Amino acid sequence: MTRAALPALASSAPAAPALRSVQCTINGEPVAFGVAPFRTLLDALRHELGLTGTKKGCDVGDCGACTVLVDGAPVNACLMLAVEAGGRVIETVEGLAGPSGELHPLQRNFMRCGAAQCGFCTPGILMMSKALLAENPSPTEAEIRFGLAGNICRCTGYTKIVEAVALTAAEAAGGAAGDTSAAGRPRAARPAPGKGTR
Amino acid sequence: MTAVLPGNALDAKLDIVGTSVRRNDVAEKVSGSARYTADLRLPGTLFARVKRSTVAHAHIRRIDTRRALALPGVKAVLTHEDVPRVLHYGSPMPRAASCTKDQYILDRKVRYWGEAVAAVAAVSEEVAEEALALIDVEYDELPVMTSTDAAEAPGAVQIHGDREDAPPGNLVVPPIRVSRGDVERGFAEADLVVEGEYEGGRPTPAYMEPNACLCHWDEHGKLTVHISTQTAFMVRGAMAEVLGLPLNQVRVQVDHFGGGFGAKQDLFQSEFLCALLARQTRRPVMMEWTRKETFLGGRSRHPVKVWLKQGFRRDGTITARQARLVYNSGAYGSHGPGVTAVGTTSLTSLYRCENVLLEGRCVYTNAPIAGAYRGYGVVQAYYALDIQMDEAAEKLGLDPAALKLKNAVREGDIAPSGHPIVGHGLEDCIRRGMQEVGWSAEPRPRSRPPKQAPQGPLRFGWGMGCEMHGSSAYPGIKEQGNALVKIHEDGTATLYTGTAGLGTGAHTALAQIVAEELGLEFEAVSVVHGDTDVVPWDIGAFASHTTYMGGMAAKLAAAEARRQLLQRAADKLEAAAGDLEVRAGVVRVAGTDRAITVRDAMLPGRGLPSPHIVGQGTYTPTKSYSFAAHFVEVQVDTETGQVDVLQVVPVHEVGRVVHPVAAQGQVEGGVQQGIGHTLTENHEIDPVTGRSLNASFVDYKMPLAMDMPPIRTILLETAPDPGGPWGAKGIGEDPIIAIGPAIANAIHDAIGVRFRHYPITPEQVLQGLREAKGEGSAA
Repeated sequence: MTRAALPALASSAPAAPALRSVQCTINGEPVAFGVAPFRTLLDALRHELGLTGTKKGCDVGDCGACTVLVDGAPVNACLMLAVEAGGRVIETVEGLAGPSGELHPLQRNFMRCGAAQCGFCTPGILMMSKALLAENPSPTEAEIRFGLAGNICRCTGYTKIVEAVALTAAEAAGGAAGDTSAAGRPRAARPAPGKGTR
Repeated sequence: MTAVLPGNALDAKLDIVGTSVRRNDVAEKVSGSARYTADLRLPGTLFARVKRSTVAHAHIRRIDTRRALALPGVKAVLTHEDVPRVLHYGSPMPRAASCTKDQYILDRKVRYWGEAVAAVAAVSEEVAEEALALIDVEYDELPVMTSTDAAEAPGAVQIHGDREDAPPGNLVVPPIRVSRGDVERGFAEADLVVEGEYEGGRPTPAYMEPNACLCHWDEHGKLTVHISTQTAFMVRGAMAEVLGLPLNQVRVQVDHFGGGFGAKQDLFQSEFLCALLARQTRRPVMMEWTRKETFLGGRSRHPVKVWLKQGFRRDGTITARQARLVYNSGAYGSHGPGVTAVGTTSLTSLYRCENVLLEGRCVYTNAPIAGAYRGYGVVQAYYALDIQMDEAAEKLGLDPAALKLKNAVREGDIAPSGHPIVGHGLEDCIRRGMQEVGWSAEPRPRSRPPKQAPQGPLRFGWGMGCEMHGSSAYPGIKEQGNALVKIHEDGTATLYTGTAGLGTGAHTALAQIVAEELGLEFEAVSVVHGDTDVVPWDIGAFASHTTYMGGMAAKLAAAEARRQLLQRAADKLEAAAGDLEVRAGVVRVAGTDRAITVRDAMLPGRGLPSPHIVGQGTYTPTKSYSFAAHFVEVQVDTETGQVDVLQVVPVHEVGRVVHPVAAQGQVEGGVQQGIGHTLTENHEIDPVTGRSLNASFVDYKMPLAMDMPPIRTILLETAPDPGGPWGAKGIGEDPIIAIGPAIANAIHDAIGVRFRHYPITPEQVLQGLREAKGEGSAA
């Protein structure tokens, strides 16, 4: 079917909307971009800025897959307009690793504990965990579970996610005691948890 | 019993299989660089949205797209008048297997609330969304029947009356009947007959990644489909058939993929629409579903009604089992025929019984489409069976675990598939779990673990449930797994597999198997998957068969590559290939220190060019069964009706554990979904309008981190199956099955009220308590 010759209609989402310019800091870098005024921070991150690590699981603030940090606080990026990011400091999963690529302890421990299965909720849970540990460096298991209650995971039963966050907290509390060298090695950590339960 | 294939020793000591190596897909998942379908954009990509019906059953009288087409930014609109009218399988399984040919891309009729009636491609999602509102549809409404009772009532309108081969009475397929022995005689011999009706709701898989696909056509008319699917080759086949293309003109690509749990075996109308919109606009088109659409247009577990009757001797021996199961297929067949067959026949087994009479019906209704979902019909059947065993034990004065042990399937018994059972896996699971939680077989005074004393309104109780589930869909489908293994000239290797990675760690397990067979380090094996133009054909990732079937195909391919490697090494070592062994990347003349690294063996040498080593493996499995027993403790609040699961001890027998952490992860995730299904999850459909009432993650309540109890998973390897690599069997579906009846039985232990349905909601718990109290005071 081809376009019929009818008069154009006024549209709330015009095909070529006027863009607003936004300046903010994303993962430590100053960023300036133009964005439609109705675009969410989530869509802007994913498709204007190429940061697709942040996921869209529901787009209405129910699942937490799009959790990013805004001035250090966890935010559902689907519930914030991109224009509201002006002047703010945004952190996404792509900024978790250090400048030379060394993994954040949470990333290492999610790998080590088997806390990521399909991986779709993982970026949001990593960011929420970072905020959680920043606020409460030595949470109880119940506090970890409560802190992650806004992030849905459908694969893991949360067991290994909670384990990974607790391990990260314990490592930080114990300084170098947390065997990070083994977990961070690219080669497999063979005596991983689990073998003993058989 | 499947013959043991050469080199598939069930008791072999292994280096890599059985260890929790770092998963080969996890670094990209924690860094955010893993690409999922909706992350993709090509230059000029348009965005597509589907218009969904606002009635559940109607003929479309008129559909007017002119206002939508006039909206700036809209590039194309499709209705049933614009798309090829080809009847196809809603699920692209091998034809005539477990599915029914009853769908069009778009039809003149709608059969459920939320069915696609039109599609738009536009320059942005916002414009596409706005255009949907400008499409005017007029319906001639028909009676809405969301329950199987309504659809099976005499004189009910035929939802697929236009399907020539449809059986009468809104049946999807003729009833499935199973008869063994003589149930009449069995019931006559019984000292106790227990009979009950059981009912299952409509849980949905609720995978985190909404369905997505990106379609584009090249200048030669070749279609490429990036899609989140478990069955890339089936998608390719369906696309080619419906769009009239040869298979080499359709390429299906799947990279990372955010969960499917069975449901992403289907095609959902939108993939065809996406491809047609891309062809018409000559631009790439991205179709990304909203979360709401995953409820409306996705697939759920089949709601079910089960009538079950069993006869028992005083000592607990089952003398007869009779059942009728009615599965609500929703508006289309999808996997209904397969689900009904697998679920119905599952009642021939688990607990031994010589006299069995079963009937399974699968019924069209005007509800959303039910389909394949983890547990595939068996969840519903064993929920009824295992609760009834608990009821029978109570009436017989026996312990339920002891009753189940007494009747548990054993070595050599005939499984639902027609195969003899291998090993005593179910008994092993029950015994180990009883030992673990302190459950004794002696019913007096109490065999279950001690109850915590009541605390205020809180009551505590223990329950257990059992299950068995097949790896592979045999005999419903004759499956086939294929693999290629290449060894490169530096001694590393690559596995090419057609099986999809749902997120379970499947590609890690397959790489472990290849590394083990080749004698390489795990890190020396990479995996290529998810591209139908590159990898060998595979039926897809479902039926708990990825490790069992895909793993065996990979093992066979690796064995062939290894044979070629050893031949080359033999030339360099001037030894006989038969005298060589390879382990940890070194080829050695057995029992000597004459050795060469795999890398050196592969290097070109004087007069010896670089080798071309490719091993190919094809495996056509029959069937193996995995087993489990789940033990749970619950807490019931008698003031609010709230049920909390306090701890779960799932014991699973899986033949051989390939990756312990990944296997535990399967169990923990299955338990999570099972807890949700049993207590809170139900996609509710208004019976009058057919309208969805809770299509969101706020109103469809799944267990969150704080709702989940500790799970102490125990994995057993006591019944390895010769059909799987070194004895390995499946584990994907098993963990979701036994948890449900275990919870229901624990609630009964806690408050003495028997529930025979799911989900068991707080209101129903309170109602049950009131009724029990009323009966108590009346008596």
